[in-house]
Amino acid sequence: MPQDRSEDKGEMKKYANFNFICGAVICSLMVLMALVSCFYTPYPSTAMDASLKFARPGLMHIMGCDNYGRDIFSRVMEGIRNTSLIALLTVFIGTLAGVIVGAVCGYFGGLPDEILMRINDLLFSFPSILLALVIISLTGTGTLNVTLALGLAFIPSFARIVRSEVRKQAALDYVQSARILGAGHFRVIFAHILPNIVPVLLSSVMIGFNNAVLAEAGLSYLGIGVQPPEASLGRMLSEAQSYLFTAPWYAVFPGLVIMLMVLGFALLAEGMSEGNG
Amino acid sequence: MFRIWLLCMLLKNKILRKIFACLLTLLAASFAVFAAFEIIPGDAAVSRLGSNASESAVAALRVEMGLDKPFLLRYFLWLGGLFRLDLGTSYSYGIPVSEMLLDKLPITLCLTLMSMAVTVAVSVPLSIFYAKYARSRIDRTGYVGNQLLMAVPSFFLGIIMTWVFGSILRWFTPGGYVSYKKSFGGFLSYLILPSLAIAIPKCAMSVKLLRSAILTEADKEYVRTAYSRGLSTMEVLYRHVLKNAMIPLVTFWSMAVADMVAGSIVIEQVFNIPGLGRILLTSIANRDYPVVEAVIMLIAAVVVIMNYAADLICRRIDPRIRER
Repeated sequence: MPQDRSEDKGEMKKYANFNFICGAVICSLMVLMALVSCFYTPYPSTAMDASLKFARPGLMHIMGCDNYGRDIFSRVMEGIRNTSLIALLTVFIGTLAGVIVGAVCGYFGGLPDEILMRINDLLFSFPSILLALVIISLTGTGTLNVTLALGLAFIPSFARIVRSEVRKQAALDYVQSARILGAGHFRVIFAHILPNIVPVLLSSVMIGFNNAVLAEAGLSYLGIGVQPPEASLGRMLSEAQSYLFTAPWYAVFPGLVIMLMVLGFALLAEGMSEGNG
Repeated sequence: MFRIWLLCMLLKNKILRKIFACLLTLLAASFAVFAAFEIIPGDAAVSRLGSNASESAVAALRVEMGLDKPFLLRYFLWLGGLFRLDLGTSYSYGIPVSEMLLDKLPITLCLTLMSMAVTVAVSVPLSIFYAKYARSRIDRTGYVGNQLLMAVPSFFLGIIMTWVFGSILRWFTPGGYVSYKKSFGGFLSYLILPSLAIAIPKCAMSVKLLRSAILTEADKEYVRTAYSRGLSTMEVLYRHVLKNAMIPLVTFWSMAVADMVAGSIVIEQVFNIPGLGRILLTSIANRDYPVVEAVIMLIAAVVVIMNYAADLICRRIDPRIRER
C-alpha cells in the first residue's frame, strides 16, 4: 500500500511538471509577443488598406485582415500587450490592497476584522465583472478607469486568501519568538509572516491574472474597456461579430489567443502549486 | 422588554439567525449602493435637462424628483420603496423602473436557471465517470479538454456557436430572438445556445472540482469501513463519497449562480437578447442611476439568497456543519 502511494505521487509530480512546462511555453510565447509588439509588428496595427479588406489568412497575413484591411496578427499582438498590461495592473492593485487588508485583519482579528470580512464576503460573492461595471458606472469608461475598477473589484478575493493564510501563520511558534525578540507587530506581519505565504499568494496571483484577463476581455467586448483605434482582444471580438459569416477568422484568432493566454497561466499556476505540495 | 426577549429567542434559532444576517447584509448593501451613487459628481436634474437649462427649471425638477430632500431621508424613502417594489422612475425613459425590469427579469432568470441546470446535470455524472477511470487514458484526455474549456471566455464560445450552428450547420438563426410572450417554446429554444455558452466553462470547473473531491474522499478510512460492511461500490459512492464530495461543489455553485447572472449580461449582447444586461448597460451609458441601482440591488439579493441556500443545502448534507 505505501509503495503504491509513492508511485502515485511520483506520477503526480510528473504530471505537474508537464503542466508547468506547457504553461511556461505558452506564457513565454505570450510575453514575447507582448514585448515584441512594443517596437515591432509585421504591419502597422492601425494601417488601413481597402484592397486587403477581409483578406483570408495566408502567408502575407497569417491571421488575415479585418473590415478596414488591417493586419489581424499585428492587432492581436498589440491586443495581448494591452490586455496583459491592464490585467497586470489590476492584479497589482488587488494584491497590494488585498495583502494589506488581509494581513492586518488576519493578524489582529477582533471586531474590525469581523466587520471588514463581512463586507469582504459580500463583495467576494459579487461577480468581479459586475463590481467593475458598477464602479465604471460611477467613474465613467476609459482604460484607466477600467483598470482601477477591476483592481478594486479584485481586492476582496486576495484579502480573503491572505487573511486565512496569515491567521494560520500567526498561530505558529516563530511568530511568538519574533515578538519575544522585540519585533513590532508590523515587522512581524511584513517581514516574518508575509514571506511564508508567498507560494500560496503566487498561485492565486496567477489565477487572479487569468480572471482579470477574462474580465477585461468581457468589458472590452461590451465596449467599455480599451477605446478604438487601440487594439484590444475583447473589442476585436465584438467588431468581428458583425462580419462573422463573411470573415470568421476575424473572430476566431483573437478568441483563441485569449483562450491560450488563460490556459497558459492556469497551467503554470497548477504546475506550481502541485509541484510545491 | 418582551420584544427584546422575543428577538433573543428568535436569534437562538440558527436558521432564523441566518435569515436575519441575510437581511442585515442586504440592508448594508442597499446603503452602500445608494451612498455610492450619491457621492458621484453631477446633478441628475441637470443631466436630464441638459447643461443650458434655466436655473428655475432645474430647481423645479429637483423638487419634482425629490432631490431637494436631505440624503438620509431620501435613502429611507428609497428603501421603503424597495419593499413595496417601487424602485423609482427611470431618468431617461420616465417610466417606473419596476415596470422596466419586470418585463426583462424572466429572460435573465430563465437564462441563468437553464445554465445552472445544464451545469448540474452534466458535471455530476461526468465527474463520476472521470473519477471512475482515474489516471487512465480517458481521464487524461478529459483533463486536457477540461483545461481547454475552463480557459475559454463564454462570450467567445457564444460567438463560435453562432458561427458553427448559424452559418455552417444552419440549425439556428442568429438574432432571431422570440419574446417569451409570443411563444414560450421558441423563446426557450433560442436560449439553449446562450445557456450552453454560459454553462460550459462552469461545467468544466465543476468537473475538475468534483473529480478531485471524489478521489480525495475515496482514499479516506470511512470508505474502507463502508466496503468492509459489505456495501457495493455504487452504495459507497452515492451514500458516502458523493455526499462529502458535494459540499465544496455546492458552495462553488452558489457563487457560480452570481457569475452566471454576470455572464448573462455579456452573453445577452452576443446573442442579442433584450434582458437585464441590456438594460444595465444602456442605463450605465445614459447615467440612468435609479435603474442601475435597482439592477444592482436585484443581483445583490440573488447573491445573498444563493449563499443562504447553499448554506442550507450544506447543512442538510453534512450534519457536522449543523452542529456548529
